[in-house]
Amino acid sequence: MDWQGQKRAEMLMQVLLVASAVAAFLVGYVRGDFQLMLLVYAGGVVLTALVTVPNWPFFNRNPLKWLDAAEAERHPRPQVSATGAAAGGKKKSGKNK
Amino acid sequence: MHSFGHRANAVATFAVTILAAMCFAASFSDNFNTPTPTASVKILGINWFQKEANGNDEVSMTLNISADLSSLFTWNTKQVFVFVAAEYETPQNALNQVSLWDGIIPAKEHAKFLIHTTNKYRFIDQGSNLKGKEFNLTMHWHIMPKTGKMFADKIVMTGYRLPEQYR
Repeated sequence: MDWQGQKRAEMLMQVLLVASAVAAFLVGYVRGDFQLMLLVYAGGVVLTALVTVPNWPFFNRNPLKWLDAAEAERHPRPQVSATGAAAGGKKKSGKNK
Repeated sequence: MHSFGHRANAVATFAVTILAAMCFAASFSDNFNTPTPTASVKILGINWFQKEANGNDEVSMTLNISADLSSLFTWNTKQVFVFVAAEYETPQNALNQVSLWDGIIPAKEHAKFLIHTTNKYRFIDQGSNLKGKEFNLTMHWHIMPKTGKMFADKIVMTGYRLPEQYR
């Protein structure tokens, strides 16, 4: 799942759950049936899980464009100078993973 | 949200949080119900009335209990516990409460009832104060909700009096 897809999945999850909760409460209150409210909400939760949990193609429309390895070699990253290399070096190595 | 497990966890936790909010809302909706219960208790007769060996007065009576508590029920009501208590004042205690009968109403369909019974629990005073005693019969009820706040209320019926003599 790409970055846009993750954002979309989270948004979708929250909207679907809140909407099914509101719908379930209204149905339950109007029909005077507590169990019906729980059933409608359970249905909403299952639907939400099916839509947002699997990695659907829908969530992969904005793939990250990584640079080619050959391209990276042509533009080597600047070497760290000797002074202050201890702190800076650690940070860089972490980022590179 | 980067992995299957992470997303499943997010759905589960958010769903349960919202479920708690729904339960709160359901309990809150009980406040919009304004019940109009009715109750009446008739004492059909005193079966016997005597002083026990230990000096405490005891009375046995036949009661006719009728009530319509169906307006107490809302969509969030699991059951209603109801009991009838004799309440009176003695020199020792400002309020004596003796439960004479109780019952559990499991559904709205059973909330309108008429019961003919002797007192289910013994009516014994802590002492010998019952001769000619004026007392109230009070119908108390506790509404047990499916979720949220419990409610309790009562109807007080006044003007009952025990006989002047043991029998």
